[in-house]
Amino acid sequence: MAFSHPWLLWLLPLALLPLVFQRAHSKNYSWLEMLPADPLSDLVGLILKALAVLTLLFIVLGLSAPHTNQQEIERIGVGAQIALVLDRSASMDDPFSGTGSVAETKSGAAARLITQFVQSRKNDMLGMITFSNSAMYVLPLTENKDTMVAAVRATAGNALFQTNIGSGLTSGAGLFEKVPDSGSRAVILLSDGAGRIGSDAQQKIRDWYDRMHISLYWIVLRQPGGLSIFDKTYKPDPDKALPAEIELYEFFKTMKTPFNAYEAEDPKSLQLAIEDINRKEKKPIKYLEKIPGKDLSNLCFILAACMIALLLGVKYVEVKTWH
Amino acid sequence: MSIEDIKEFSYHIGWRNRGRHPGRHASTQRGMGMEFIGHTSLLNYPDPRRIDLRQTLRDPLEQVYVRLFNQKSATPVFVICDLSGSMNFGAKERKIRKAADIAESVARSATRNADPFGFVGFDDVVREDWISTSSFKSHRAIELAERLKEYHPQHVSGAGVSDVWRFLPRERSLVFMISDFHMPMSQLEESLSNLTRHHIVPVVLWDADEYKNLPEFGITAVTDPESGQKRTLFLRKGYRDKIVKSFESRREEIYKLFMQFDMPPFYVEGDFDADMLTEYFHQFVAA
Repeated sequence: MAFSHPWLLWLLPLALLPLVFQRAHSKNYSWLEMLPADPLSDLVGLILKALAVLTLLFIVLGLSAPHTNQQEIERIGVGAQIALVLDRSASMDDPFSGTGSVAETKSGAAARLITQFVQSRKNDMLGMITFSNSAMYVLPLTENKDTMVAAVRATAGNALFQTNIGSGLTSGAGLFEKVPDSGSRAVILLSDGAGRIGSDAQQKIRDWYDRMHISLYWIVLRQPGGLSIFDKTYKPDPDKALPAEIELYEFFKTMKTPFNAYEAEDPKSLQLAIEDINRKEKKPIKYLEKIPGKDLSNLCFILAACMIALLLGVKYVEVKTWH
Repeated sequence: MSIEDIKEFSYHIGWRNRGRHPGRHASTQRGMGMEFIGHTSLLNYPDPRRIDLRQTLRDPLEQVYVRLFNQKSATPVFVICDLSGSMNFGAKERKIRKAADIAESVARSATRNADPFGFVGFDDVVREDWISTSSFKSHRAIELAERLKEYHPQHVSGAGVSDVWRFLPRERSLVFMISDFHMPMSQLEESLSNLTRHHIVPVVLWDADEYKNLPEFGITAVTDPESGQKRTLFLRKGYRDKIVKSFESRREEIYKLFMQFDMPPFYVEGDFDADMLTEYFHQFVAA
């Protein structure tokens, strides 16, 4: 039990006012001793006083906005702690290869498939980061499927600017920081193409993922006719720097934690990649769920209103024809 | 209210007073009255106008006799009036107003009977500012009664009733005691026993709104005007009957007490009717 405005509780002594002040419209009677004692009348008087006191009490309590404390409940689920790191760069609005004449954008396809993925995973904790120029924090690790689906849908909108994979990956790892390790942690990086990562960021990513035991799944959404990272026949041009995708793939392969890369050319292959992840990441996990505190001020106001209604009722049966 | 509008009643007393001032009541005072009480010699009562020739002739010792008569004397009439908080009660007319009406009527009737009239008001103590000394001219008392009509008693008890006897004359007087008698029985008894010297007519002012005309049903808060005590009343049929019963037993109780002192009470409930007071004297006071 806590109060949002505890200083208002100083007004509580006001509730005693009805005890101090007598009813103003009291009528004069010649001699009270002539009226025989009547327990019912005394009871009614007492109840009226109590009602008045309680009304004020509840109003003051309601104003100080009482609420129960937030609770944390430990839950156990089977599944993984998965952070989705989604690319929101401008290129994600390009058509996805493999579709028919009506092109589906890459972000749209990703959102659709990830929604299915989220709904198929019953006990996972999922978090979400999107990135373009820099990482955008969307959702902490949570078990709530509805919020997750809503968040995924929200990413299907218009895309932004460029690709900063390093920032997205570090923020994705950051989601795991305050959550107890369940033994099955994964970051699913969903991007088209790649951006370059500076050596500092590379070192940081390698360290963090190793320390937090996070395995990385990289799903590359390839544009039609784009370069494949699995292309064995590709001969790099010695005069030029390696293409960004290849360089990133080489870097991921040097990481100490498990790494898998999938290349999705069309929605079907993307689905296959996701099903593969679905199979691999299943372990019991333990996590704390936060239950928000309940606001009790409305209850107080309702009680006060009920008592005021009662007092009004008494006003209605009050004697008006006398004296 | 002009003096002519005040309704009078007729009263008489059942005892002989000793006042020297001529009036209309039987007296023990020798004088120019019509009431023959015997003979004495002219030497004892040297009033030659009253020589009784027949008695003088019949006496072998040849003394001269005169007839003796008792004169009629004035009897002091007093109103002692309760000014305590409970007298402020009254739905249509406050009791204190009604008391003032009765006092005026008494004052006017006393003047008509050539009796001196005095007024003593009391609440917690005897109120010296509400005293009108005994006088054959009633104007001062009536003026005081007019002021009394607009008076609003304070939140005080009527304990001064025990001291009222100090403000009444030593000679037996006719005293109208106007009050609602809402006071403890012991206090009433004590003050009555100090007043037995006088002929007391207790005028009991009750208001039907106090008990009979209570509302049928409802909740109300009441304040005692004397103690300031407050109570909430939940009026309903059963409780109303109880209140009426309580008043009836109280009426019985004070009636018994007054009858112990041989002072039959005169009840005023509703309007004051002077003729009823005339009736009262015919009924309870031997002429």
